[in-house]
Parts: sequence; C-alpha cells; structure tokens
Amino acid sequence: MKRYLLRHPGVARLGVILLMLIGWEIAARWFIDPMFISPPSRVLMALGSVFATPNVPAALRLTFFELAVAFALAVIIGVVLGLAVGLSKFGNKTFMPIVLLLYGIPQITILPIFILYFGIGPAAKIAFGVTHGMFPIIMAVVAGVQNIKPILLTSARSMGASNWQILRHVVYPNMIPSLFSGMRLGMTGVLLGVLLAELYVSTGGIGYFTSMFTQNFDPTKLLGLVGILAAMAIALNELVRRGETHFARWRD
Amino acid sequence: MTAQSGARRKWLDRYGSRLVQVAFVAAILLLWHLATTRWGVNKILLPSPLSVWQQFVDVIRKGEFLADLQITLMELAVAFVVATVSGTVVGYVISRSPYLIKVFEPLFAGIYSIPIILFLPLYVLFFGLGPASKIALGITISFFPVVLSTIAGFGNVDRVLVTAAKSMGASDWQLFRHVLVPAALPVVLSGLRMGFTIALLSIIGSETIASLAGLGHRIVNLAENMDMARMFAYIVFVIIIAVFLNTAVSALDARGKRQR
Amino acid sequence: MTQAATNTAISVRNVSHSFGEADEARHVKALLDTSLDVTRGELLCLIGPSGCGKSTLLNVMGGLIAPTTGTVMVGDKPVHGPMPNDIAFIFQENALFPWSTIHENMILGMSFQGVPKAERADRAQRALEAVGLDEFAGHYPSQLSGGMRQRAALARALSLETNILLMDEPFGALDEQTRMVLGEDLSVLLSRSKKTIVFVTHSLGEAVFLADRVAVFSARPGTIKEIITVDEPHPRKSAFMTSARFHQQRDQLYDLLHDEIRKSMAQSGKPKRAYEDQSSRAGPAA
Repeated sequence: MKRYLLRHPGVARLGVILLMLIGWEIAARWFIDPMFISPPSRVLMALGSVFATPNVPAALRLTFFELAVAFALAVIIGVVLGLAVGLSKFGNKTFMPIVLLLYGIPQITILPIFILYFGIGPAAKIAFGVTHGMFPIIMAVVAGVQNIKPILLTSARSMGASNWQILRHVVYPNMIPSLFSGMRLGMTGVLLGVLLAELYVSTGGIGYFTSMFTQNFDPTKLLGLVGILAAMAIALNELVRRGETHFARWRD
Repeated sequence: MTAQSGARRKWLDRYGSRLVQVAFVAAILLLWHLATTRWGVNKILLPSPLSVWQQFVDVIRKGEFLADLQITLMELAVAFVVATVSGTVVGYVISRSPYLIKVFEPLFAGIYSIPIILFLPLYVLFFGLGPASKIALGITISFFPVVLSTIAGFGNVDRVLVTAAKSMGASDWQLFRHVLVPAALPVVLSGLRMGFTIALLSIIGSETIASLAGLGHRIVNLAENMDMARMFAYIVFVIIIAVFLNTAVSALDARGKRQR
Repeated sequence: MTQAATNTAISVRNVSHSFGEADEARHVKALLDTSLDVTRGELLCLIGPSGCGKSTLLNVMGGLIAPTTGTVMVGDKPVHGPMPNDIAFIFQENALFPWSTIHENMILGMSFQGVPKAERADRAQRALEAVGLDEFAGHYPSQLSGGMRQRAALARALSLETNILLMDEPFGALDEQTRMVLGEDLSVLLSRSKKTIVFVTHSLGEAVFLADRVAVFSARPGTIKEIITVDEPHPRKSAFMTSARFHQQRDQLYDLLHDEIRKSMAQSGKPKRAYEDQSSRAGPAA
C-alpha cells in the first residue's frame, strides 16, 4: 500500500482531497451550526434543488454566455492592440508604458462606473470581463512579436523572404505559443471580471441568488451554486490550457 | 543623409515617445473636459475633471478618508502577514520532499486557477459583513502564490550548491541560512509580491461587493448616492494608494533580491 | 580583366565597416579597407582573432550588412541586399524555424526564394538525402541533436541551389568529434558540386582541413593580413589530418595568428571593454 502510494502521487493527491472532504463532512455534521455550513454530501444531494430554483439555470446560462463573449472580445481586442503596439519599435516604446500603467490599476475600484454606464445587465459584466482579460493578452502578443531570435529574421531575409512573408511565416508562428499563454491568463482575468461584476450586482443574475442564499442562511444551496460556478471556471481554464500545450508543442 | 537630419532623428528617438505619451494623456483629459463642458454629457454619468479635482482636494484636506483607509490597511496587513507565515512554512515543509511536492503542488496550482472571489458569499455567510470576512478571503487568496513560490524556490535549489556546501562541512543550519535561503529568496520574494498585490485586490473587491466599511465600500456608497464627483475623487485616491503600495513592495522585492 | 570576371565569384573592394555612429560610445571599427577575390569553386576560410570582423565581412558579402564604404560584386552584380538566388547562408546558431518540421523548413525556405511549388518537395528530398537526413524530414528541430540540426540547415541551404554558400562558424557550437565528421562530409560534398564556399571559423585545424585558401585576419580593426594556400584535392580524408603537411600548414597558420590574438587580447584587456574580454578569451583557444 505504502509503496503503491509512493509510486503514484496522483492517487495520494486524491486521498488528500478525500480526507479534506471527510473532515469538512464531520465538522459540518457535528461541530458547526448548520446555519453557516453544510456537509458536502448534503450539498451534492441538493444540487438538483439548486437547478430547480426558478431562474437559476437561466442565470447560469447567462453567466456562461457572458464569459464566452467577454473572452472572445478580450482575445480580439488584445491581439489587435498587441500587434499595433508590438510590431513597431516606436509603438512599443511609446504605448507599452501606458498599457503597463493601466494594467497596474486595481480595476475593481471602477466597477461602479461600469454598472453606471452599461447598466446591471450582461453588457456591464461582459465589459468588465473584457478589461480584465485583454491586458495579459496584449502583453503576451507584444512579447511574442518581440521575442524572436534575430537569427531567424536574418535567416529568412537571406533566403529572400518579403516583409509579408516574414510577418506570416516567422513573426506569426513565433507569437502563437506566447499568445496561448496570454489567453490562459486572459481567461483567468475574464473569469475574475465577470464573476466580480456578477457578485456585485445583487438585483439580478448570480449575484441575486448568492445574496439571497446568504441572507436566508441557506449554505447548502449557496455551496451548490458556488460549486457549479467553480466547476465552470475549472472547465474553461482546462480548455484554454489544453490549447496552450497543443500549440506550443514545437518548443523545446 | 545630412548631419542635421541625423540629429533630428536622434532627438525623435530619444524624446518622441515621451512626447506622444504626454500628448496622449493630455488629449484624454481635454476630451474629458470638453465632453462635460461643451458636449453636454450628463454630470451624473461623467463629472467634470475640475469638480473631481476639487472633491479630491476636499477629501484629502478634511482627512475624511482616514477611517476607511485604516480599516482597509488593517485588513490587508493581517491577511498578508498570516498568508506569508502560513504559506512559507507550509511551502518549506512540502519542498523538503520531492514526493510531497508531487502530491501537493498540482493541488495548490489547481485551486489557485479558480477565481477564489467566488467563495466570498460563503465567507460573508460564515464571518459576517465586517473585516473578518475580508481578512479571511485575503488570506485564502494570497496563500496560494506564497506557498507555490516557496515550493518552487526551495524545491529547485541547485544540487551542486548543496553538495558543495556539505563537502565543506556545513551544518544543517548553515546549509539553510547560507545556501537554501539565498538560493530560494528571489522566487519566494516574487511570490510574496504577487500575494500582496492580489490580497490588496481581493480586499478592496470584497469591500466593494459586500461590506460595511473600507475604501471599496466608500466608493460603492458614493455611487449609490449618485455623488459622482466625489466617487471619482475616491477612485483616484484608491488607485494612487494601490499604485504606491505595489511600487513600494516591488522596490522591497528588488532590494531583497540584491541583498541576499 | 575579362578572365577575372569569369573566374571570380565574389569580389570585395576596399570595404570598411563600423558599428554605431562615430560620436557614440559603442562605436566600433570592425573592418578596415579590405579587398578580396573569391575564386569560383573554391572553399575560402576566414580565420582571425575574436572581433576581427570576419563575420562582418561574410555578412557584407551576402548583403545582410551594408558596408560603411567599399563595394562587393557577386559575378557582375553589385551587392545591395540579400541575393537569395546566388547566395545561401548557414549560421552558427540554430536558424531553423522551430515551429516547422525539417521538411517544412526546407519548403518554406524555397518559397521565400521563389522556387515553383511543384519542384519544392523533390528538391527537399534530394537535399535531405545528400546530408543523410531523409528519414528525419518529419521531425521538429528540437527533436534533433545539434549536429543533425546543422546538417538540416545545410540541406536547407543546398535545396536553394545557389552557386555560393556562406557559412558563419557552422560547426562552432558542436563538439570536436561531430565537427570532424561534418567537416569530412562537407569535403565530399564540395568534390561533387561546383559550389563556391566562404567559411568563417575559429579552428586552425578546421581551416586547414577544409580550405583551398585561408585568409588570415589581423586584430581589430580587421583586415586580411595574409592568404595561404592548402594544396590538397577534395574529398579530403582523415589521413590528411595526420599527415606532416597538415601539421606544417597548421603551425604556419598559428604563427601568423599568434601575434594578432595577443594584440586582440591586449585591446580587450582595457577595463572599459570588460565584456569583450570574456569572448576573446574563450575564442582563440581552439
């Protein structure tokens, strides 16, 4: 048994997760007021009732839609701005400090302004997700365009490549792995932005239900809902991470 | 090419970027000003830059921000200290065994990739609307970069350095103090800086979403009362505080890396 | 004059080159008033102390660097930029595109040069066979060893079917044994084709083993100090490397170079040039 675990750390990892769940189960069942926490077994059983709560499935679908749109927009805007900044030395020198400055601002402080301008509907949440997701993508595209080994450009030029051919066959493929790392970070940003905005707006969508479950001291449903969203986040992260490994396979 | 045009090109090389940057910021301020004074954009949507500046001066002069700033900084300090201590201790213990690294590192990395802000409602349910829920969330969020970087820092010390020190007769303590710590420090410090930044973000964020006090709460409060100019002034204030804190921490990080 | 035009592949006239502007701190005179004729079908080695401008001269010949003064002619055409139809390069660093397989690398190179689509696959196959890599066409560069990567780079250059190959320390990053084998292969290749090759190297042995003529550079600002001839037909065998004549010519080359290396080290010994100090110490050891 011990030898088996030593050889398979993944199994031991599952064991650790299982132990944590058991600890949680015991604590929630016998030691902590059920007003505040609910054992995992009960949360799992109650998942059906979370979905059965009127408007919860619609809110989850809407959140997923916001995430997808925000991510797509963040990628498009990030790539366009990244190329605009990264492809010229002057653009890089001039606008990169501005991008870094904006990236360094804690965007959460301007969330109320987003709600003010875009309303409490999906538009504000998508916009907030986009501003969180696009900066890492801009940075990744700039890095990918700039970090070309000079010898590859020299070599392409020596073989007679035109400017367009260099862009298409050297700059572009060189950028791809970096772009996908940026997309992974961008997905993290989009999740953060959209979910922050969702939680902030307590009059509709996910935020309405989380605050309702909190006020009703209903930890079972709250945990269920949060768990579903976490699963959605994990799945989206994993999807982008797979893309990253796939498109960076030529790297040594 | 004449000498004169060469000189001009060099001048452009050196100052052109700065010039465009200044012009960019000036253009935005000008557009903002024109939008509020000439183009009749609603004051509720966009207060004029002048009124924001007046409110900013007023906030600073009256010292009204002190109570909220104090709460936010207190939450930040407690969360960061607890996360740092627990993260480095747990990370160091795990880093001592390649097996433990294999078991725990992917687990922590996996949890770290979830937006932990999602759990805020649970923390509010459990710890209430006061500072305790912010501190707890801040600890949870910043624990992960600290523990991951500690594992990475202490787990990847070059074997040659350890062997060399042992061959010269270093004791366990000497090995820790003069080999492991200096070798791991840059990575660990980067993790601490990261942890600090996201602790600050998550604390202001949770104050914005659900709280009774603090800078984030103040901004939301002003937004709900439609006191836009003052809200903008507070946003500027919080951004300045955040940039100042992050710059200070980055400087400490760079300094620590130099002086190891 | 007419005879010179037919027999000369590359002609370099009074070329000087400096990096950086005259008033800048990093201003370096790399090459000083150098003239040189490369004969058709020969392998000419450029050898000299680090920083003597031999790589600069190679890049000037290939049109990758425009010289500050002087002219270069390839055949009867003046060089103003890359000449992909006449000249192919092989660099010291791995210059294969890492995101493409070896086969794709060769196709891409030929598409840059403008080879008709229909011919590309066939040419790639032939070039890969010539360097013995045809079984690795589908591999990515990162999956090959350093020596195989340089053979692939050679194949890519061969597939362009230029008359001239410019090689900038192509085996410089490889270990001694791989170098020797690749040198022998190159000599075989040379005996079969009629290519003109200019080859920059640090290694005295490599220069004598490969070259028909060796141009020895002086310390910076570099110019050609002397040209010695190695009279041995290609393909050269490993027996040549152990012959008395090989050693005698290697020693002759060493005598010529020795003072220049000392001079070069004295130059770089000045404190404000500490950075170059390292590279020149690492350089001429071979």
